[in-house]
Amino acid sequence: MMRFTDLKREAGFVFGHRQIKLTLLVVFLLSTVSLWSGYAEMQEQQATIERLLEKDQIEREAVITHQSNYGMVAYYAFHLTYAPPSPLAFAAVGERDVFPWKHRIRMLALEGQIYESDTDNPELAFLGRFDFAFVTSVLLPLFIILLLYDLKAKEREARRFELLNVTARNAHAIWSARALVTLVPLALVTLIPFVFFGLVNGASLPSILTVCAIVIGNIALWSGIVLSIGAAKRFANFSATHLASIMLGVWIVTTVVVPVTAHTLINAVVETPEGGDIVLTQREAVNSAWDKPVEATWRAFIATHPQWADYTTFNPGRDSSFNWKWYYAFQQVGDQAASELSQGYQAATLQKDTIASYVALLSPSLLSQRLLSSAANTDVKAMVGYENDVRAFHQALRKFYYYHLFKAPEFSQENFEALPQFTPNTKTSHENRTGKEE
Amino acid sequence: MIINVAKTICADQWRYWLRTKVAATVLMLGAILTLAALVVNAFHIEEAAHAREHLQTEAEARFKAQPDKHPHRMVHYGHYVFRAPTPLSVIEPGVDTYTGKAIFLEGHRQNSAMFAQQRQSAGLTRFSSLTPSFLALVLAPLFIILIGYGSVSREREAGTLTLLLSQGTSRWQLILGKLLALISASSLFLLPLLLACLYVAFSSESPLVVLLFCLSYAVYFLLWATVVTACSALFEKSSVSFIVFIVIWMAVCVLLPRLGSSVATNAAPSIGKLEADFKVEEKLRSLGDGHDVNDPAFKKLKEDLLAKYNVDSVDDLPVNFRGVVAQYSEGRQAKVLNEFAEKRMGEELEQAYIARQFGWLSPTVAVRAISTILAGTSLETHHRFLKEAEALRLEFVQGLNKVHVEKLDYTLDMNRNASEEAADKAVVGADNWALLSEFSFKPEAENTRISNALIYFLQQFFWVCISALLLKAAVRRLNP
Amino acid sequence: MTANSVISANALSVHIDQRTILDNLNFEVGKGEVFALLGGNGAGKSTTLKTFLGLMKPSTGSASVMGLSVAEHTNEVQKSVAYLPESVTLYGHLSGLENIRYFLSVAGIEKSDDEVFAALRKVALQKASWNNALSNYSKGMRQKTAIALALLRNAPVLFLDEPTSGLDPAAIDEFNALVSELAANGATIFMVTHDVYGACQVAHRIVLLSNGKVTGSFERVGDTPIDTEAVHAAFAGRKA
Repeated sequence: MMRFTDLKREAGFVFGHRQIKLTLLVVFLLSTVSLWSGYAEMQEQQATIERLLEKDQIEREAVITHQSNYGMVAYYAFHLTYAPPSPLAFAAVGERDVFPWKHRIRMLALEGQIYESDTDNPELAFLGRFDFAFVTSVLLPLFIILLLYDLKAKEREARRFELLNVTARNAHAIWSARALVTLVPLALVTLIPFVFFGLVNGASLPSILTVCAIVIGNIALWSGIVLSIGAAKRFANFSATHLASIMLGVWIVTTVVVPVTAHTLINAVVETPEGGDIVLTQREAVNSAWDKPVEATWRAFIATHPQWADYTTFNPGRDSSFNWKWYYAFQQVGDQAASELSQGYQAATLQKDTIASYVALLSPSLLSQRLLSSAANTDVKAMVGYENDVRAFHQALRKFYYYHLFKAPEFSQENFEALPQFTPNTKTSHENRTGKEE
Repeated sequence: MIINVAKTICADQWRYWLRTKVAATVLMLGAILTLAALVVNAFHIEEAAHAREHLQTEAEARFKAQPDKHPHRMVHYGHYVFRAPTPLSVIEPGVDTYTGKAIFLEGHRQNSAMFAQQRQSAGLTRFSSLTPSFLALVLAPLFIILIGYGSVSREREAGTLTLLLSQGTSRWQLILGKLLALISASSLFLLPLLLACLYVAFSSESPLVVLLFCLSYAVYFLLWATVVTACSALFEKSSVSFIVFIVIWMAVCVLLPRLGSSVATNAAPSIGKLEADFKVEEKLRSLGDGHDVNDPAFKKLKEDLLAKYNVDSVDDLPVNFRGVVAQYSEGRQAKVLNEFAEKRMGEELEQAYIARQFGWLSPTVAVRAISTILAGTSLETHHRFLKEAEALRLEFVQGLNKVHVEKLDYTLDMNRNASEEAADKAVVGADNWALLSEFSFKPEAENTRISNALIYFLQQFFWVCISALLLKAAVRRLNP
Repeated sequence: MTANSVISANALSVHIDQRTILDNLNFEVGKGEVFALLGGNGAGKSTTLKTFLGLMKPSTGSASVMGLSVAEHTNEVQKSVAYLPESVTLYGHLSGLENIRYFLSVAGIEKSDDEVFAALRKVALQKASWNNALSNYSKGMRQKTAIALALLRNAPVLFLDEPTSGLDPAAIDEFNALVSELAANGATIFMVTHDVYGACQVAHRIVLLSNGKVTGSFERVGDTPIDTEAVHAAFAGRKA
């Protein structure tokens, strides 16, 4: 049994080495800088959202006051949709720099709008972000290797190993104490800055604790790997650097080789519709509607919107000079034509992500990164959830406008107070969207 | 004479490696990985090239195959362009998977690129990718370290250093021999890369660019071999040099590139397209709505036109006034849109420059910049794609507007919404759609790319000097 | 095994991977005796030592310390045994004093500063160097530090591995004197060495080991040291 005296003594011993103190300082700096960088970026995103909301509101009001019929308003009025960064997003940028998190949506066919992406500078995305998730998933294992690789090997090489084992009252206590006294401060210098930033950013205590648990779990896992390689009988005669090479090999295989191999295999296995096909199909459907007889469009539209079956006649005298009802109907029909491909595309994205989650079981770094993104709501599921929120909003928008276009009440600006507003989801949903319209 | 001894030492170092499990494993693993990366990536790029070429052809065919219709509808029908990968993408795909590969071109709007490949990658390739450039820039140095960290220090530890030096072997011969061995080992990783470059050189890529591309990677390996050999001689114990190397590798290859990216984001935030769109719209509002002929913004236009043709009303004009308005407003809109697009591209470039400045702190960043710029997969090329797409857009939209002006009768046009028959009359012939040019995207001219990369060549040269200095210091301080 | 013996080997054999390292060793060491195991390189001295320290298990036969079988009561035996390794590399970054405190704590023994100082004085380590980093100590000084540690552990049995290798003659004499004094005070000393002269000076009993077998045995008579010539001849003779 390890006694407190053992811990105290080994603490003094371990910290007597300048190397350890330096390493811990470096980890602390890395943790702090990465957190601060993520925090600043999310603050910026939040400020952007606020600015955009303001302008969005002004724009829309200008359009509403400027126009005189519902069709024109629907054509010109844009709505801002966005996924605000969650309180933990500063720690794990996740997929936020690759998937879009803001759109400006109007009533026109959604499939022509939703794939637009106002994403970040591609060269910066290519270089990758230096965020907390990166530090803890990819770099921290390297530090653990550097700190613990020669725990026993160093003593063996210096021929102190036998002396220690014979002299010690409890030999196991020495090794466990040394490991613990190294790992606990490592966890602390990594996590204390995180807790600080988390509290400042208003993250809930359970979520902060979840992240701490993930990081501690990752540390424990890698420590286990490193210590078991160091203690293995098979490697008992290897030099310390030889052992370190083996551990680095494990790191390379799990952090580099497994993910990229899985990526190649998954892409070969999962069928994905070509994005270009979705937009080409949708465009063809929308544009060919101009040349087809009006009835063809109505047939397709009424099939999914039976409630408007009696309102399809166009009276140029009563309705506006252009047949807006028909126009928006064929926009919707265009979406319907592309919906199979579009759903397939989203399903493929999600399926690949699901398979990746199984692959993560073979790669601690990948697992840790995925868990952190998940906790921060910046993983693939969250971004797809945002996309589905946009789709749901578009549906609400259409419901509003269909009423005003088909039932054709008198145009008045007060009616627009009922215009749906986009509310961002604080709890994202990622269930596959149903095709059923209402 | 110096070479002979160096060769012997080099041969002995190889013998040591082949007999030690670590070195042999590392060499084999490295060679396999590099080869696999090459094959997989080449396959990917070929596939992508074919897919995009096919889509491009199809988009062009569909445009030209449109029936007779109102020219403004063709403006809204629009066109898609797809960006084909450049030849050297086989080795350095660069930003290809992060940028969208398709843009929708239509009147009145500049859209952004869609369908970035990374979205389909489930986050698996955010840290590493199976591309030859990643392997060469990040993993190869680690391998070089793993086989070379003890090349000189093990001699010291075994006591053979004293033996060698006392026999008359000069310090230079010893270090040179070790360096030669490490260089030849690292060229194992370079070989697949060279083969790929050779293959590409016979395709459409400029030979000079391919040569410089290869050279920069070769110099990169040389750099690492030199630094590893030099430090192995400077440190007394193998274990110490090992730790130092791993830390250096982590900082230079893994950390600094990403740090540069984060610093760039924080230092030069870009406002993004959506926000810029608001500003664009504000400005455009003041320019008038191109769909509404009676918009007061076009009053002067109308007056000038009436004066030019000496008529009293627009119905009497020999040209279609709606078309004139469309043409005029499209031109002004394009100016505004381009102004903001240029500003945004400038901001992105500034961010990229900041990130690339870290090349003074890390040779990996420097060579990556050279690599992406020369291969035509850097931000600059993406911007050029956007600009060429825009040029095509303006060309076909204004072309259609010109058809609108000259070939569609004004009265027919104004009455097009009266009935279905009236709508059928307000059309122009489908042979007009042939005005669409082919879109074939090639990276910048070789001179442009080379000059863009000049400063990063300078950075690499700086690192070469540093490593040479280290080597010199190592030789001078080599004492048993 | 006589009731008096502190260390005893009883038909001790060690086999590893079909090879016989130790073959049927039999010897005893009584209390207060200095025992030297002499042998060339590869004779099996380290293996013998490791077996008595509990770092290796005998294949057949037994090794006992203080009446307890080492293999079965390893922990207890280790508590009453002090070990001086061949290359005395204690922690270079700690001072002599800090090294001793560390190892005492590891052993679970508490000693006051005075007791530590007394031990250091006893082994004649200069006071000026007590607080210097061990990396600055000569081999002899490191040797003394390690012996001080062994003393402080008050172990009745001391195992020494090649204690005089690398020491100059003055230091060897100092060392031998110390060993004799310890033995006179009741400690039992088991020494493994190939220094014939030193062993003869100080040992009560010398056993020659060659290829894992006992090839000779000498005993001190009264106060006269064992005959160096005889031992040397026997030691070298088998080589001829």
